[in-house]
Formats: sequence, C-alpha cells, structure tokens
Amino acid sequence: MAGGLEPDLAALRRELSGPAVFSVLIALIAVAVTFLIWRFVQGRRSSRKAVLLLGLCDAGKTLLFARLLSGRYRDTQTSITDSSATYRVSRDKGTNVTLIDLPGHESLRLQFLERFKAAARAIVFVVDSVAFQREVKDVAEFLYQVLVDGTVLKNAPALLIACNKQDVTMAKSAKLIQQQLEKELNTLRVTRSAAPTSLDSSGGPAQLGKKGKDFDFSQLPMKVEFVECSARGSKGEEGDADLEGLEKWLLKVA
Amino acid sequence: MLDFFTIFSKGGLVLWCFQGVRGPAATAPVNALIRSVLLQERGGNNSFTHEALTLKYKLDNQFELVFVVGFQKILTLTYVDKLIDDVHKEFRDKYRNEFQQKGALGLLNGTFDFKDDFMRLLRDAEESSRVRAPTVMKTFEQSLKSQKTVKCMIETRGEKPKEKVKNKKNKGSKKEGTEAAAAPSKASGGDKQPSAAGDKEELTKDEILQKNREEFFRRHMKAGEKSKSPKPDAQKEKGKKPRVWDLGNSNAKVLDYSNSATNGSAEACPVEEFDPDMALGDKNREPGRLYDLEYESEDEAEEEKVVQNTSKPSVKKGGLGGMFGMLKGLVGSKSLTREDMDPVLEKMKDHLIAKNVAAEIAVQLCESVAKKLEGKVMGTFTTVTSTVKQALQEALVQILQPQRRVDVLRDVMDAQRHRRPYVVTFCGVNGVGKSTNLAKISFWLIENGFSVLIAACDTFRAGAVEQLRTHTRRLNALHPPESHGGRTMVQLYEKGYGKDAAGIAMEAISYARNQGFDVVLVDTAGRMQDNAPLMTALAKLIAVNAPDLVLFVGEALVGNEAVDQLVKFNKALADHSMAQTPRLIDGIVLTKFDTIDDKVGAAISMTYITSKPIVFVGTGQTYCDLRSLNAKAVVAALMKA
Repeated sequence: MAGGLEPDLAALRRELSGPAVFSVLIALIAVAVTFLIWRFVQGRRSSRKAVLLLGLCDAGKTLLFARLLSGRYRDTQTSITDSSATYRVSRDKGTNVTLIDLPGHESLRLQFLERFKAAARAIVFVVDSVAFQREVKDVAEFLYQVLVDGTVLKNAPALLIACNKQDVTMAKSAKLIQQQLEKELNTLRVTRSAAPTSLDSSGGPAQLGKKGKDFDFSQLPMKVEFVECSARGSKGEEGDADLEGLEKWLLKVA
Repeated sequence: MLDFFTIFSKGGLVLWCFQGVRGPAATAPVNALIRSVLLQERGGNNSFTHEALTLKYKLDNQFELVFVVGFQKILTLTYVDKLIDDVHKEFRDKYRNEFQQKGALGLLNGTFDFKDDFMRLLRDAEESSRVRAPTVMKTFEQSLKSQKTVKCMIETRGEKPKEKVKNKKNKGSKKEGTEAAAAPSKASGGDKQPSAAGDKEELTKDEILQKNREEFFRRHMKAGEKSKSPKPDAQKEKGKKPRVWDLGNSNAKVLDYSNSATNGSAEACPVEEFDPDMALGDKNREPGRLYDLEYESEDEAEEEKVVQNTSKPSVKKGGLGGMFGMLKGLVGSKSLTREDMDPVLEKMKDHLIAKNVAAEIAVQLCESVAKKLEGKVMGTFTTVTSTVKQALQEALVQILQPQRRVDVLRDVMDAQRHRRPYVVTFCGVNGVGKSTNLAKISFWLIENGFSVLIAACDTFRAGAVEQLRTHTRRLNALHPPESHGGRTMVQLYEKGYGKDAAGIAMEAISYARNQGFDVVLVDTAGRMQDNAPLMTALAKLIAVNAPDLVLFVGEALVGNEAVDQLVKFNKALADHSMAQTPRLIDGIVLTKFDTIDDKVGAAISMTYITSKPIVFVGTGQTYCDLRSLNAKAVVAALMKA
C-alpha cells in the first residue's frame, strides 16, 4: 500500500513544482482576496445608512418626512407602518441617506424600533414643543428606552432632538426641553432600574450616564444635539418649513 | 350626505380628501378610528362610531392604503359599502404606477386628482340606491283577508273560548278597518257583522257558564284534599323540638377569639418567630428590583418544524399544473386571498384556544389578522402559513404592549412630591390572590424606600384582617424601623368586620395623609361579577375615594370567564359613577402564573378586553414572586407549537 502511494506522491511533487501550478495558486489567492474585500465593502456600505425619525404620537414626524423629501405640506394621519425613502443630503455632494419614518403609537413604536435600530446611522427624536409640559414623562420614557437599548449603545448613532412645532407661540425652547429631559431621565434611571428589565439585555439594565452624578446628555457615548424646527413653517401651509438646523445636522452626519 | 371621504397611506400621508358640505375636519375621527380599531386588532367588522359620526373603512393591503368614509350616525345610507369598493378599485387602477414604481416618493410627489371620478362614483351610488322606490302598501282589496267570506270566520261551538276571545278582538280591529275603507261592499259586510257578533256573544256566554260550573266542581274536590293536608302538618309540628347542639347556647361574643383591634401599637402584637428565609425564598436577588419572567426561546426548532410541515402538503399536490402552481406560489408574487388564509387561520384559532385564550377573542383576533393580510403580496420563498403566523405574532405583541406608561414608582414619587399618598385599590373575584399580591407589592415598595399603609377593606371574609395583620408583622420583621430611620415602613389600618368598606377606605386615606405615608394599598373583598349589590358597593368605594390606580386582580388559570369578569366589572364601575369620565380599571395583576406552563392565553384575553396593561405578574406565594410582563416572551410561549 505504502509502496503504491510513493510513486503517486512523487508524481504530485513534480507537478507542484511546475510553473502552471504557480499561476493556479495566484488565481486562487486573488479570488479569495476579492471575496474578502467585497464582503468588507458590502458590510460597511449596507450596514448603517438609515436615519430614523422617532417620537411620540402627533410629534410631527410624518410631516417632517414629507417636508424633507418633497418640500411641500401634506395632511397626515396617525401612521400605522413605516415609510422610507432616500434623501439627498445636498445638491453637490451627492451623498444619500435613507430617511425612515417610524410610527409613534405606543403599541407599535418598540416593534419598529427593534426592526430598524441595527441599520441606524443617526436618530432624530422629534418632540412636540407645545405639548411637552404635559407629555414630559412619556417623552422621557421613550427616550430612555431608546438610549438603554443594547444595539443603540453599541453603535452609538448620532442623536438629534428636534423640538418641533416652534411656529406656535407657546412652544418651549430647546434649552428648556433639554433641562427638563435631563431631570426626568435622572429620576427614570432610579425607577427603571428597580423595575424589570427586558429579556434581551441580560444581566441588569444598562446604566445611563455616570453613577453618582446627575444625568447629563454629555455623559452618553453618542453625540447629542438639540435643534429647534418647525415642520409646518411660520407662514402657514403654503410657505416653506423652518428646517435649517435639521438639514445642516443631516449634512454633517451623512 | 357624506361628511368626508379620505384616502391615506398606512405610513400616514393623506393622499386625497373630500370634505362634505358642513362636515368638520376629518383628522380627529379618523385618528380615533386608527387608534381604537386598527391598532387594537378589532378590525373584524368594518364600521366604527365616533361621537356623532359613523365611519366605514376598507384596507388595501397590497399598496398599503386605507379608505375611510364618514357620515352622520342617524342616517342609514345603503350605498356606502358599494361606494367604498368602487372607489377602491378605481383609485387603485388609476394610480397603480405611482404605487408600484416609486414607493414612498411616489406618494409624496404625486398629485392625486381624484375629485371628478369620485363625484361621478358618488352620483352613481346615490342613484342606484334611489332607483328602488319605496314599496307601496297594499290596499285592502289586494290583501288575502278581503277574499275570505265572513261565514268561514265564525267559530263553532266546539272550540275553546280563548280563541273566540281572540277572534272577537280580530273582528273588532277588522270592524275598524272596514269603517276606514270606503268601498260599498265593505259596508254591506259590516252590516252583516254586528248581527253575527251578537249571536256569537250569546254563544260565548253559554260557554262561560259551563266553564264556571266545571271550575266550581273542581274547587270542591280540591278543598276536600286541602282540608286533609293541614291536619298531618299540625300533628308534625307538635312533635318538633328545637335541636340542641353540644356547644350550644353560646353567642357570638364567646366565640370571638380575636384580640381587640389595635391600630399601630406594636406591643399588642408580639413579634413572632418568623423565618425570613422561608418568606423571601430567593437569596440571590437585588433588593427592590422587579425581575422579569423567564422563558427559553426555542425559535430555531420551531421554524424548522414549520417549514417541514408546509412543504409536505404542497408536495402532495399531484400533476404538472400543481407543481408549477406550487413553484409559482413559492417564488412569484402571489397575493393572499381569503380562501388561502382560511385553513391556516382556523388552525391558528384552535391553537390559541388550546392555549387558554378566550374563544371569542381568538375569533376576533383571527378576523382582524385576515383583514390586515387580504390582498397582500407575499415575498419570495414565503408560505401562507409563515406570513399568517408572522402577522399573528405581530398582532399579539401589539396587544400586549401597554398603551400608557407603566411605572408605579415614578407615579409614587410624583405623589410624594405633592405630599399626598398614592392610593392603589385591588378588586377581583373570590380567591384570585388579592391579599397575597398586595403583600408582595407592599414588600417591593418597602424595598424601594416607600412607607405603606394597608387598608383592610375586606370586612366580610373571615380571617381577612388577621391575614393582613400577619403580613404586616412579617414585613416589619424583615424591614425593622431601625434600618429605615426609625420609621415604621408598613402599618395596617382596620376597623374589624361588618363595617362599610368605602368608609374605612376614606378614613385610611386621611390617616395616611396625616401620618405621612407614601402609599395606601386598599384590599377589598372578592365578589362575583354577577352580584349586583356587591358590585354597586365596589363602584361606590372607587367613586367616592378616587384612587390613583385601580388594579383588577385576575388569575392566569381563568379561561373564557376572564372576558365576562372584566366586562362586568368595568360596566359596574362605569354605571355607578357620577362623574363625567368614570374611573375604570387602570391595570391588571395576573396571578398564579407559575401554575400554567405555557398556556398563557389569559394575558391576551384580559388585555384585549380592557386594552389596559398588565402591571404585575404573580408567580408564587413568597414575597419575591412578583414580576412584570415581558410581551415577547409571552407571545413566544403562546406561539410555540
């Protein structure tokens, strides 16, 4: 048996030393490298290209979506599903982001967040500045749920809190909203860690910010900015929306 | 006639809107429709009333559109259903390109000039309903009665008097009818009738006499019997003697073994030997934390089984046509029809009922899922079963998500800041675990640093007050005042048995306010939902004391009863409340969750009926067995084969 193999092995060794085999080896390596590069590029390209529009019901997400994409005012109803479209960030640069408008209703928001959070490069959290005083606890709870999510903490997408409906005179300023949210999130940290955690985040709830110190948005791993905007626009439905801050931020993030 | 007609996408953009003559803005009622029907999976029937309007809707699942028409509730328009169908078809065909090719951008940028088509369709629909003229009433000549002669309607002697009385009545009405009619033939008939009627009355008198005679004889016979029966009774009564019990002649006072009621004095109740390990059970836990329910998810195994099951029946379809059909169904874009979904939905419904979901709720859920999926285009390599299962799973998760904030600690903190106690009331039927879970919740609150006053408003059940006193003693042993800055963390407020529960609750709340307690937990007696006086008493307690949180305690073992209990409890609370917006059940505590393996359907039934969240889940009888609901885990357990 061993004797039978010996001449075969010798023949093989002779073959391998030939120049034809060399080229075969190079071809194989080239294919492997191309494959790896392709996988790497695709992974990077398709992984996080989305900008999510989150917020409570009636915050103005769908109108904001419509204004950014078409510039016109549209009547809206409560969204039941998500809508997504590619948005050209600026005319000359040509970079695109996918704007995704998620429903804000309580029974749907977490489901859709689960679906799209992995693809998020940036998150726009839309806040109704007029009803903020009344809804501060609900806003803070949703924001808390977004911030302690495992995937969000890992990817740390840029976060913009857009204080919408600034065209109404009773709207609160961004600074006030920031202060109130920080205070509320500070309290929520304590009450939520005493309440149950979801099964996904194993081993205790994620700590928001630094222990011992009062909660501050600068303690978060992601960049957080506050901007005032008005999707309806101060000149009513015919005029343009007041979205400059938002558009500039999108340009920076894209 | 219509108030409005809107067409909007499921993503929220209004594509086209028609405002009626004097109708108000369409957004508010349509939002109410979306929130109460579509998002709560009550999409079984397609109409919905909101204030003065009736809304009818239709979903287009292929292009993700919703068509809604609104009209006044008092009108009954017969053409609305047909109108919606026609508009749906026309709109879809006209703007098919925008939907298919451009997606969301198409919806945003497209102009949907549908007004002329809509007015045409509306006119057609209105005319079609007007074409059928209202039916003209038959005149008397045309009716059957005028054909009959008077003679055939005269009754003969043999028949019973009752029928004769009826006939007299009929004749009376006929007489009026004949007077009203103007034809001469009727007049002659009418002349004949009084004479015939006179004869008839004489006949009936005879009959009456005979009947009376019979009755007289019968009564004589009965009297004889009656006179016999009282005699043996009287003889029996003489023989009766009062029974004497062994321990007899003692009254309530001697039988009362309880110590005199003490409120807040620790000396009267000696601290018993109490083993904290037994009460706490689980040693490795963080104090104050509320853990979650644990379920192992076996998703992969489940998916494999599903794929195998669906591939087998599809292979069995014989013939070339069948093979190609299956391939097309598997690869191409096939839209779901009702017939495709029905067998799968039947199976899912039976599966849900086997998992202890109430039967009518399972039916409604499956109907709503069918409505949501009709006409939807399936993706490649997806089977009907997997699509339906996916949709049902999403619907179940949606139902279990709380519609409002569930954070009791946050609300207690708020109340603390306003220097008033946070009042929680527990209600439910008998034996579901109200007192046990009250003790668990008070333990959890104490661990988080809030002082609790337990109000014993169960003044009926024997031992209720003693049970709560024992719990109070144990909790104080676990958390002695020394470790909380000299403050007794839990105290019992009771007034013994037999008193009015609402009064005790009111006194307890004012006592808590004076003494600075953070939370008041009110324990009520268990009562059946059909017991009207007890339900009134409960409604009075809640209406008078206005608690911050009304928790309905229900056990997870309950099946179809859950629906009845919750509906009747809510109804009682709404009926007996004087306020404009009555206080209804705010949350549900699901108890005895450890006794059911994965038959977790009661959670679905309860949240579906009330649309209120499940705040706590009780999983045992020690103080640490308090969890909160994890929607995904429960749905996974529910969908497991």
